[in-house]
Amino acid sequence: MRPSFISLGPLDLVVAAGLVVAAAAISLALRLGLERRLAVASARTVVQLGLIGLILKRIFALDRPLPVIGLLAVMILLAGREAVGRSSRGYRGIYLDAWLAMTVSCLTVGGIVTQVVIGVTPWYTPQYLIPLLGMILGNSLNGISLSLDRLLDHLATRHAEVELRLAFGATRREALKEPLAAAVRTGMVPILNSMAAAGIVSLPGMMTGQILAGSPPMQAVAYQVVVMFMIAAATAIGAMLVAVVAARRLVGADGVLELARITGS
Amino acid sequence: MTAVLLDAGPFEARRDGGEALYAGLRVRLDEGRMSLLEAPSGAGKSTLLRQVAGMVRAPGAERLLAGEPCPSTRLAAWRTRVTLLAQDAPMLPGSVEDNLRFPFALRSAGGREWPEGRTRELLAALLSDVPRERQVGTLSGGERHRLALIRGLLWDPPVLLADEPLSGLDPERAERCVQLLLEYAHRPGRAALVVLHEPGLANRADLRLRLRPSGLEQA
Repeated sequence: MRPSFISLGPLDLVVAAGLVVAAAAISLALRLGLERRLAVASARTVVQLGLIGLILKRIFALDRPLPVIGLLAVMILLAGREAVGRSSRGYRGIYLDAWLAMTVSCLTVGGIVTQVVIGVTPWYTPQYLIPLLGMILGNSLNGISLSLDRLLDHLATRHAEVELRLAFGATRREALKEPLAAAVRTGMVPILNSMAAAGIVSLPGMMTGQILAGSPPMQAVAYQVVVMFMIAAATAIGAMLVAVVAARRLVGADGVLELARITGS
Repeated sequence: MTAVLLDAGPFEARRDGGEALYAGLRVRLDEGRMSLLEAPSGAGKSTLLRQVAGMVRAPGAERLLAGEPCPSTRLAAWRTRVTLLAQDAPMLPGSVEDNLRFPFALRSAGGREWPEGRTRELLAALLSDVPRERQVGTLSGGERHRLALIRGLLWDPPVLLADEPLSGLDPERAERCVQLLLEYAHRPGRAALVVLHEPGLANRADLRLRLRPSGLEQA
């Protein structure tokens, strides 16, 4: 019987690196000036992935709940920081809000997918939890940062419209309806696009990976559908939650828009 | 004797540097009067109007309308009755009609009926050359200011606070707007506080209040 997947050795990686070297050579020949960045990016890829590989190896070998929880906590922390870092505006407490949205979206969606849909036993099995939660985090991060950026931009540049509604007695909820809708819509754009394009423009990365690893195509499709839905739900929850929490911080229950609290441009 | 319709304060405001613009200031508006708020630019007229309207917080200030106090947690209800027409006539994206109608769709409107007759009357008086379905983005500054004034008059709150409502209007149209503001303010249960930059129209108001660091002074 053929093995379900072909193992890669160091030599294989060297050959693959040759492809990047060829790309760098083209850059040199055409004086594109990309070779340095290409080298740095390639080195980062190897080092970062190598490190995470070592960490995963350790955690898989331990097979205990605590290391898994610890790694997930670190991932959430870094993802929250990254989500805020991408936004050009900010306010006091933005990190807390991003972390809250990240944690809630990941734990609810990740919990349901791993424990109910897939039914992982034991519940902390790192082989499932870490890659799935990682995918949720990466996409939720996108949704949260886009939503946050759009909300702050709306409040900062279109504050006159928000205040116009408030001036005629709109409640906070009424005045924030449009900024919130715009923020969540923006946050959902990437996942909606990739759901619509799935399988037509490209095979989603995870499905490709499973097929390479020897899964039957329909199983890979089933997993990919679960993952798409999971990502969509996590993105929606994250984008909505962060927008609502941020908006409520910047517009008080008394309907006062505190524009001065928004920093940056 | 006229009754005090609006009584609010004490308010204070500071320049960015921390220097006080005014402090311990109370605003009292008599029923049936249009008062003018006068001061050199930068003295805090807009800030004061925003404080009275409850668009910004004013710790320690109380706000009374016809003797009834408004707790600071119920500012939305206050703003439906003490409505600010902000500087530069802000608009929502959409048509002229959308902009006139949106307040009536708010919960605070409590299902108030849309005053179609009055709408026609005001549009004919101030904006006869602009169709209702025109997008507000295409209006001139003067047209926007007239539309903002129509919206305020249609809403017809007990107190209107208008921050330079006549900017960009030619003298003839400005005069017509002042006339409508006066008619509005002279009715029972109504009052207006207006900032005007047109010196020729200042003497049309019933009362002229000068904003001093210590309070409002009748001119």
